[in-house]
Amino acid sequence: MRVSHEWLSEMVDLEGVEPARAAELLTLSGTEVEKVTAYGVGLDQVVVGEVFGLRRVEGSDHLFLAHVAIPGQEPREVICGADNLFVGALVPWARPGTRLPIGVEIGRKRLRGIWSEGMLCAPDELGLGSEHDGVLILSPDDAEAGMPLDRVYPADHLYELEVLSNRADCLSHWGVARELSALLSRALRNPDVSRPARSGSGPMVRVTVDSSADCPVYLAEVLTGLGNTPAPAFVRRRLAAIGQRSLGGIVDVANYVMFEVGQPLHTFDLSRLPASEKELEVGVRRGRQGESIPCLDGVRRDLDPETLVITVGDAPQAVAGLIGGEASAVGADTSQVLLEAANFNWARLRSTSRRLRLRTEASSRFERQLSPHLARAGADRFIHLAVRHLGATLGPGAAGGVPLTPASAIRCDPGRISSILGMELSSEAVASPLRRLQFEVQEDGAEMLVTPSPYRTDVTTAVDLAEEVGRIIGYQEVPGTLPPIRQAPPLEALAEPVAHLASTTCRAAGFSEALSLSLVSGEREGLAPRLIGDLAHLELANPLSAQLGSLRQGLLQGLLQSAHHNQARGQDRVRLFEQGAVFWGRGQERPEEPWMVALLDLADDSTEDGVSRLRHLMALIASLSNVGGGGAVEFRPVTWPALHRARAAEVWAGAELRGIVGEVAQPVADAFDVRGRLEVAELRLDGWLKPGGRPGHAAPLPRTPALVLDLSVAVPSRALLGPALRAVSALGLPWLEQVTPIDEYLGDQLGPGLKGWTLRLRLRHPERTLTTAEGDAARQAVLRVLELEVGAKAR
Amino acid sequence: MTPVDLQELTAMALEEIARADSLERLDEVRLRYLGRRDGLVTLAGQRLRKLAPEERAAFGQEFNRASGQLRSAMEARQRQLAAGEEEQREDGEWVDMSHPFRGPGQGHSHPVAGLIREIEDIFAFLGYQSVAGPELEDDQHNFQLLNMPPEHPARDSHDTFYLSPPAGGWLYRTHTSPVQMRAMLASPPPLRIIVPGKVARRDNPDPTHTPVFHQVEGLCVDRGVTLGDLKGTLEYAIRALFGRERRVRLRASFFPYTEPSLEADVACAVCQGAGCRTCLQKGWIEILGSGMVHPEVLRNGGVDPESYSGFAFGMGPDRIAVLRYGLSDLRDLYENDLRLLECF
Ligand SMILES: [Zn+2]
Repeated sequence: MRVSHEWLSEMVDLEGVEPARAAELLTLSGTEVEKVTAYGVGLDQVVVGEVFGLRRVEGSDHLFLAHVAIPGQEPREVICGADNLFVGALVPWARPGTRLPIGVEIGRKRLRGIWSEGMLCAPDELGLGSEHDGVLILSPDDAEAGMPLDRVYPADHLYELEVLSNRADCLSHWGVARELSALLSRALRNPDVSRPARSGSGPMVRVTVDSSADCPVYLAEVLTGLGNTPAPAFVRRRLAAIGQRSLGGIVDVANYVMFEVGQPLHTFDLSRLPASEKELEVGVRRGRQGESIPCLDGVRRDLDPETLVITVGDAPQAVAGLIGGEASAVGADTSQVLLEAANFNWARLRSTSRRLRLRTEASSRFERQLSPHLARAGADRFIHLAVRHLGATLGPGAAGGVPLTPASAIRCDPGRISSILGMELSSEAVASPLRRLQFEVQEDGAEMLVTPSPYRTDVTTAVDLAEEVGRIIGYQEVPGTLPPIRQAPPLEALAEPVAHLASTTCRAAGFSEALSLSLVSGEREGLAPRLIGDLAHLELANPLSAQLGSLRQGLLQGLLQSAHHNQARGQDRVRLFEQGAVFWGRGQERPEEPWMVALLDLADDSTEDGVSRLRHLMALIASLSNVGGGGAVEFRPVTWPALHRARAAEVWAGAELRGIVGEVAQPVADAFDVRGRLEVAELRLDGWLKPGGRPGHAAPLPRTPALVLDLSVAVPSRALLGPALRAVSALGLPWLEQVTPIDEYLGDQLGPGLKGWTLRLRLRHPERTLTTAEGDAARQAVLRVLELEVGAKAR
Repeated sequence: MTPVDLQELTAMALEEIARADSLERLDEVRLRYLGRRDGLVTLAGQRLRKLAPEERAAFGQEFNRASGQLRSAMEARQRQLAAGEEEQREDGEWVDMSHPFRGPGQGHSHPVAGLIREIEDIFAFLGYQSVAGPELEDDQHNFQLLNMPPEHPARDSHDTFYLSPPAGGWLYRTHTSPVQMRAMLASPPPLRIIVPGKVARRDNPDPTHTPVFHQVEGLCVDRGVTLGDLKGTLEYAIRALFGRERRVRLRASFFPYTEPSLEADVACAVCQGAGCRTCLQKGWIEILGSGMVHPEVLRNGGVDPESYSGFAFGMGPDRIAVLRYGLSDLRDLYENDLRLLECF
């Protein structure tokens, strides 16, 4: 919302308060000032001139030669490019030697052989907004020739405000003035709302409100005797300053009151309402199915029982709080009006506004829980201005409606406010800022009874008062402290989070950390390899696009996209990992959110077979489990959709499947537009790794020497080492401490279809040195198992 | 042989020792003079027995001196030659030690993930436990228990992604605040938690928005916690993140779940508060929302607001990363471009 400094200064003394200072005070107290701009500053040198003659400049299709004068001087020739001039127009004239507020110095200029004596200015050239449609034409009501322009446009500054959503009271100059009055400790001057006497002309209004929950207040007045009078100069100037167009006297004054007092008003042309001379039946009720109303903006809108309407003689005349009907619109010939100053249920207005896809200045105020108490001030201010400046007479008045309940007092203990804020405040120090905010404060023993300003709907409890005291004193005055720790934090707080452990381990192995949006394309998700079977996909009901239409079920789609992104930018090696939650549907039940990590290693090198990178990845999985206390891992070869059929394994820890590791199948890599071999893994960490990890098990150091034997065997070339080693350890051979594969021979000396393994056996007796015979027996036993398991032969 | 001969012999030997240019040569010299059987000096010593007793003492003395001298010269030369040969061997194994070697190396942190870990560490120091909560929430926890009933105006800024049926009862959380509620319901105060995580709002991607982003929520509930405590905590954390010289200000604000509510700004690093494009001419950059937990929210979390009070805050590590590292587009954070990651 835009607010004028000059307008504010009518309601609070701003003498000596720089706009920047006012802006800072407002910002710190919650009403953020986004921008302060000068408006009409430095117009004292520009003079109001009158156009006496006007003709086209010969040889030009767009230039005019105007004769402009001020009283007592001969007209001068000024060349002008705008086409909105006319003889008799009053215009801002910057004569040679004038410096314009935008920094331009005006001189005598020769154009097409004519000396132009300065220039006639458009609003933007004068720092009066951004309009540049033509020369600013001044109304003879506001200006006369010879006057310096700053008498028409006094220097002003405009504040661009971002009002908090609970502060509808600040959506007006009066509201902002109340804030500044409290912040600056300067008296508030309320707008003049003195009412004239009723004349008795015009009909009596009878108001029927169906539900006071829908409409807590509805004030209606009839005003007659209005001519086609423009609004007074200060009204038009201030409206122009805050960017509002002039739309005729009645509408301008109603708008003015909304921006000044904050109460939206509606005016109906009385003569176009179905009313008798004597009586007018105004109703506030829900719309009916099948009803509709042509609105002011030319659109016909359907009504329904969720919509609140204003009726006259039961015929809808307006969508309450949102927009008026076309039929009763005020026009140039309007001489009598029905004035509405009302308040409507904010929630109902919000849903209606959303349903009709319409938001107006009025509705945006009601939606934010505008105080119903403002209606009276709004009506009175309009009546005051209309009677005084538009020649109106006040009608006989209205009957009906519902009385408003006054704001109730809040009981509060100043000591409590001190302890919420963490400041030592006396009762007086608590009361003073509240009084400055126009709250009533009554001492009641050690406590206080505080009645908030009736215009504040957001202050209802003692903590609300604490906020008021804090923000008016200023939070810079609150001393910063730390809350004492009186009780030890839970021991779990000491553990290093799994996410940290996993990140540190993956980074140490050379993988960089990636983060992706959790929203993915459902179509591509089906392509990416993943750990899960056929759990339901979760889709968004209101996605931004199909690309971001589903929740990820795994992390590899994101990594594959990042691999493509990096490869396309010239990276020949891409190693990335990502960890985070993925989402698995469970029908109507709460979706499951496993915490996963995925790793990807891509090399764009056609000579490389990927095996060593795959092995490195598998070693990293083992060390992840190790640092996270996840126990020994085991890889079990599988064929898995989207992975290389001979290079995929499940990762098991104990009896649990924890993930998948392997090489991405070529068609999948192609689908993601990635060249080269992609080694990937995806693991579920929750339920496996433990926060803080776990120290490994330590056995006492042995005191006897080990017997180390190497065993070389020939096995079929597709023999699996993992099951072979498991079979050896399942044998439970006494004293066999460790079996380590130390060599794999893939040459052809062993014969077709064979390969060689060399295993190193380490045996140890806890009390004595083992004999060679015992070693040989162990070797034979291992050999027999290998023979049974994989058909091994000694070599 | 006389002592004079012995002296000559010694001088010759010393000269040959000095001339020996390898351990092999030196060994030849040793054999020639000190060889156990036929070394020239050894042979000279054997003559001792044939001397008259009065000569014996003087010759013996002379002999011992000469052979001692030779042995130590021999050892010295041997050490010298051995060292030289080791040097030669090492010279043969020359490595260009000026090579700017880049090994397989350490992987890099993601700027946002790294920042989140940094924030967790700062608060761990103040006794806060890092906890997580579900990213998919119900309306109850995301809004209603946090004082945002349906139609509440504050929901306007929480443009929400809803899930399709059959999971239609769930939404992607719009902030990490529901975890506050879950933490309070799970364990009685005192509570000090920090909650990093993803949230989503239905904003089209542009330089200042991504539909999914991160938040870090903090909550402290205990007896007698004050707004001053909130201020001190935030000032500590912000200085830890932005440097001790950075100016911080707290400004009144509004959130339905806190009362009083505050926002924290840091002075714009680009213009030092004078106003520039980065800060939209404000001189300050908003980095965090906070406040004293609303009594109603405490009550919803099963905490008695008469006995306990608390503060909560939430910050956006994505935005902070962009500010701190001088990036210009939030979307870059989710491209995972290694050229960016390698800076961290
Ligand atoms: Zn700046």
